[in-house]
Amino acid sequence: MTPGRVLVVDDTAFNRRLLVRLLTSIGHETVEAEDGRQALDRLTDAGAAAIDLVLLDIVMPVMDGYETLAALRADERLRDLPVIVISGVDELDSVVRCIQMGATDYLPKTVDPEILRARVDASLTQKRLRDNERDLLATIDRQRTQLSRFLSPQVAALVSSADGEAMLAGHRREITAMFCDLRNFTVFSETAEPEEVLGFLRAYHATMGALIVEHEGTLEHFAGDGFMTFFNDPVLQPDHAARAITLATAMRERFASLSADWRRRGHVLELGIGIATGYATMGRIGFEGRYDYGAIGNAIIMAARLSGDAAPGEILVAARTFAEAEPDLPAAITAQPAGDRQLKGFSRAVPTFSMHRAPSATPEEATR
Amino acid sequence: MTLDPNAMAHLLEITGGDPEFVDELIDTFIDDAQSQIAGLRAAVDTGDDAAAVRPAHSLKSNSLNVGATTLADLSRSIEEDGRGGPIADLAARVESIATEFESVRAALLAERAAR
Repeated sequence: MTPGRVLVVDDTAFNRRLLVRLLTSIGHETVEAEDGRQALDRLTDAGAAAIDLVLLDIVMPVMDGYETLAALRADERLRDLPVIVISGVDELDSVVRCIQMGATDYLPKTVDPEILRARVDASLTQKRLRDNERDLLATIDRQRTQLSRFLSPQVAALVSSADGEAMLAGHRREITAMFCDLRNFTVFSETAEPEEVLGFLRAYHATMGALIVEHEGTLEHFAGDGFMTFFNDPVLQPDHAARAITLATAMRERFASLSADWRRRGHVLELGIGIATGYATMGRIGFEGRYDYGAIGNAIIMAARLSGDAAPGEILVAARTFAEAEPDLPAAITAQPAGDRQLKGFSRAVPTFSMHRAPSATPEEATR
Repeated sequence: MTLDPNAMAHLLEITGGDPEFVDELIDTFIDDAQSQIAGLRAAVDTGDDAAAVRPAHSLKSNSLNVGATTLADLSRSIEEDGRGGPIADLAARVESIATEFESVRAALLAERAAR
């Protein structure tokens, strides 16, 4: 058994001496406190060595065992610290109360060295398991944070969730896909300096990326000037169609201020956005060593085609998406019929709407 | 019983047969008991019966550990009565505790001397 550092809290010197003696004889290090107040001061002393276990008397002056337990359980850092209550044989009611308050175990006051050793060892083992568990959780959390820098936050969360494996293996679900890219980007990248193009792309990715995260879209991929984002997966979003449209209008508004600078320098850049709703199959796509969370389905292709068909600055939405979104859309967002579009790969013409947003009153609203 | 004849043997046993440490415990018991009795007397003087509970409780548990059975019983009865409200004859009972403690102390020191 690895020795631990035990805090003995008792107002009578007799009990402290006896307990300290017994604990040191089985290899543990001890620290003493005469009441709960002293114990808490020692436990919250950042400069002092960490305590592994507390042996706590109940009846004490200044601050008794109950108050001490309550204070320990209310403290984030001390909540998991094991506490063994020391009690007389005629104090079983108090023991029950202490255990309900979070004490780990109890020891009779007329100490039996074997019982003391067994209970102290059991509590220290439990604490070590809990500490390991906490370290493990912290590691998982850190990995998830790191992962979320490479993946969409939703996908990063999915990877470490209980049903993650089944979801990654592949599932079918209705989603709303949004595809957006830039008009005139090719001309811009040929005429501007490469450093300028990179600088612009960084600002563009940062701005659009922040909006996608804010609207809780799942970013499937981005390549150069294009983004593919979808909604309702892996996290269910009943208002997925409205979310996509709201995001698109926010992107367009934000893009206007981003591109104003470039416009003055003679580069006219505009977004073209396409949005479509339909069933798709989502899951792990790729090969060992390089997998992506991807979506396959007609909605994705239709969104890309609509984006290609959109006029500069236009948000072109499939009629089905608009119908689903309409009840959830903010009043400021309105739609105009934009005709039936013949899209490559689709045998039937797709009825569409073009989305508009009334200039918002406050800048805060514009980001919604 | 002023002193349980097995108590000293028990203390020796649980401390791994270290007579010096048992002596230290006896001294600590005597010191603790004196301040516990002072606490009981202070409760009598101020008429605050509730203040007698904590020293009575501590004296009881220490007495049990050294095998001072009678002293433990006297203390326990004060502790128990005190939890329920005013304690009948507190002053007289505290004095019998003080008298019993003197017998316990004498017995403990005699035990030590006999070793």
